[in-house]
Amino acid sequence: MTGNQFVRRLTAVLVVVWGAATVVFIVLRVVPGSAVDQISGLYGTAEQRVETRRQLGLDHSIFYQYWLYLKGALRFDFGRSFYSGRPVTDILVDTMPVTIELAIAAGLIMLTWGILAGSTAAVFRNTKVDVGLRGLAAVFFSIPWFFSGVLLLILFTSVWKVLPGFGRLPPTMTYEPTTHFVLLDAVIQGRPELVWPWLSHILLPAAAIGLTTGGYIARITRASFLEVTSQDYIRTARSKGMTRRQLFRVHVSRNAALPIVAVAGLQVGALLGGAVVAEVVFSYPGVGKLMVDAINRRDYPVVQGAAFVVAMCYVLVNVATESSYPWLDPRLRR
Amino acid sequence: MTIEPVLSVEGLNVWFDGDVSPAHVVRDVSFEVRPGEILAIVGESGCGKSVTAMTLLGLTRSSNARFSGTVRFGEHELLSLSEPELRAVRGAGISMVFQDPLTSLNPVMTVGAQIEEMLRLHLPISRSTARRRAVEMLETVGIADADRRARQFPHEFSGGMRQRAMIAMAMSCNPPVLIADEPTTALDVTIQAQILELITSLAHDRGSAVILITHDLGVVAETADVVAVMYAGEIVELATRDDLFSAPQHPYTWGLLASIPRVDQPRTDRLPSIEGQPPSPSAVLSGCGFRDRCAFAFEACAAHPLLEERSSNRHLDRCQLPVSGREEQRRAIYP
Repeated sequence: MTGNQFVRRLTAVLVVVWGAATVVFIVLRVVPGSAVDQISGLYGTAEQRVETRRQLGLDHSIFYQYWLYLKGALRFDFGRSFYSGRPVTDILVDTMPVTIELAIAAGLIMLTWGILAGSTAAVFRNTKVDVGLRGLAAVFFSIPWFFSGVLLLILFTSVWKVLPGFGRLPPTMTYEPTTHFVLLDAVIQGRPELVWPWLSHILLPAAAIGLTTGGYIARITRASFLEVTSQDYIRTARSKGMTRRQLFRVHVSRNAALPIVAVAGLQVGALLGGAVVAEVVFSYPGVGKLMVDAINRRDYPVVQGAAFVVAMCYVLVNVATESSYPWLDPRLRR
Repeated sequence: MTIEPVLSVEGLNVWFDGDVSPAHVVRDVSFEVRPGEILAIVGESGCGKSVTAMTLLGLTRSSNARFSGTVRFGEHELLSLSEPELRAVRGAGISMVFQDPLTSLNPVMTVGAQIEEMLRLHLPISRSTARRRAVEMLETVGIADADRRARQFPHEFSGGMRQRAMIAMAMSCNPPVLIADEPTTALDVTIQAQILELITSLAHDRGSAVILITHDLGVVAETADVVAVMYAGEIVELATRDDLFSAPQHPYTWGLLASIPRVDQPRTDRLPSIEGQPPSPSAVLSGCGFRDRCAFAFEACAAHPLLEERSSNRHLDRCQLPVSGREEQRRAIYP
């Protein structure tokens, strides 16, 4: 990547994040209801309401509030929650790793099943296996997250009773976060007993997102494999005396990787969106659940801070995805 | 003294099952090549020349393809070999060079790695030996600075160099037979001659037989020892190059030869062309496949002609015209 390209990408990141922050800021103030109503309650007097407005800083002009938000965001300071009074940044430090964990777990499930199903369908093109996998992928991809979440929840927690359905760790378990990533902490703190409870809790929400988004990856993988297998260089490789297995491992997979990576990068948006839904369904204490709760209570600083950080994550992942293209395809190197 | 042919094809037929009727793409094709010999298969697009070549290596095998005939290579009968047995022949026994070297090389692998892969598939050698051999092969085909070039990707090569690399790969295991499928069609005219020269000299030095597939009679005139002219899936004329160019026997060959522009003759407004279209591969041929387009068709053409020696020794054709009158008939329309 040249210096010029780097500057251009950085600018794009800033513009997108600024845009997302602005939209969230405006929407919060346009929707009916405000934090003042929530806190003063239905029976609050006019004086109480004015006092609450002043305390929350909502008596300033909207432009000044916007200015304060952007200025603070540059230092990752989004003010304090209207309710708990905790700095939003502290809340995000607690919750963001939870969502990142969940998104990574969901991403792994998405890629594993998507690529396996897609490549298997391509290898067995136009057989029953292919038709079955394509159907499955289409069905999975069409299921909304709240439905897949509730379905898994019912099946695994109340019908079969094999997995826990709520939270991140059992309430009886003590967990003192060092990095806020349970797997890392289990290693750092030397507590292997954390791993299974954590895994059993993350499995269902991650599957609810990963299985559905993976349906799309499966379709792209199949199409990409078929496109590559019709190329001349595959014929060349066959004429060299390679087995089908070698052919797929060496020649097909590397050429088919680029479109899969491109789509997977874009699907990170879906993973984050899915995390919001899954966290609510499974009471998973991540930034998605935080945001939904904060929106319901009109806790502006929390929503603004969370939206800013999530937008940033999404954009950064996409920049990383784009930067991997030249590594995958030498023709894009300069 | 006669040298044993390294590859002999006997009555090869290929059908592809289609939605309505099967396409009979290769019809009763027979030929043989000897070590060091260059056989050119000439014909227009869709005449079955590429399918013939790919079938020799089993590359046309699929659920909707059917074959008959024999392809004898050493002690193997290639049509009846299993996939694993065929894989041992591909690359090491018979290797191929394709038309467009840009699309025929894997864009994400270095050129060196693609040659190494060929070597390591067939020879029990280490990675470092393969690497050295790959660089040597690139030097052999005339690529300067081969060590650095081996670490480059196909898109960093020029068209001619890419085809040289393809040839280096195809020849790296010293195959007794090299099939070159339109090897110069995608290249600049200035490069074509170099590539042909490279193929012929390599084949000559190593004693490999070459099957050169082309639609370009200029290429044939420069390189081939023996020429097979294909039309509608059949070989319609098979002769040594000199015989074919000096005394062509089949009216289709006459048309092909006449359609080459010549600098040693006065320019005419239009080059002669063969009117009409070849028959569809899915049509059932009755009689001579060329008779609808042939100016000399007569009653006998309704019967299917065999590829036989008619005019002279080792000069075969599929035309029923009396041999004695052919020369005159040819001059009548192609003066």
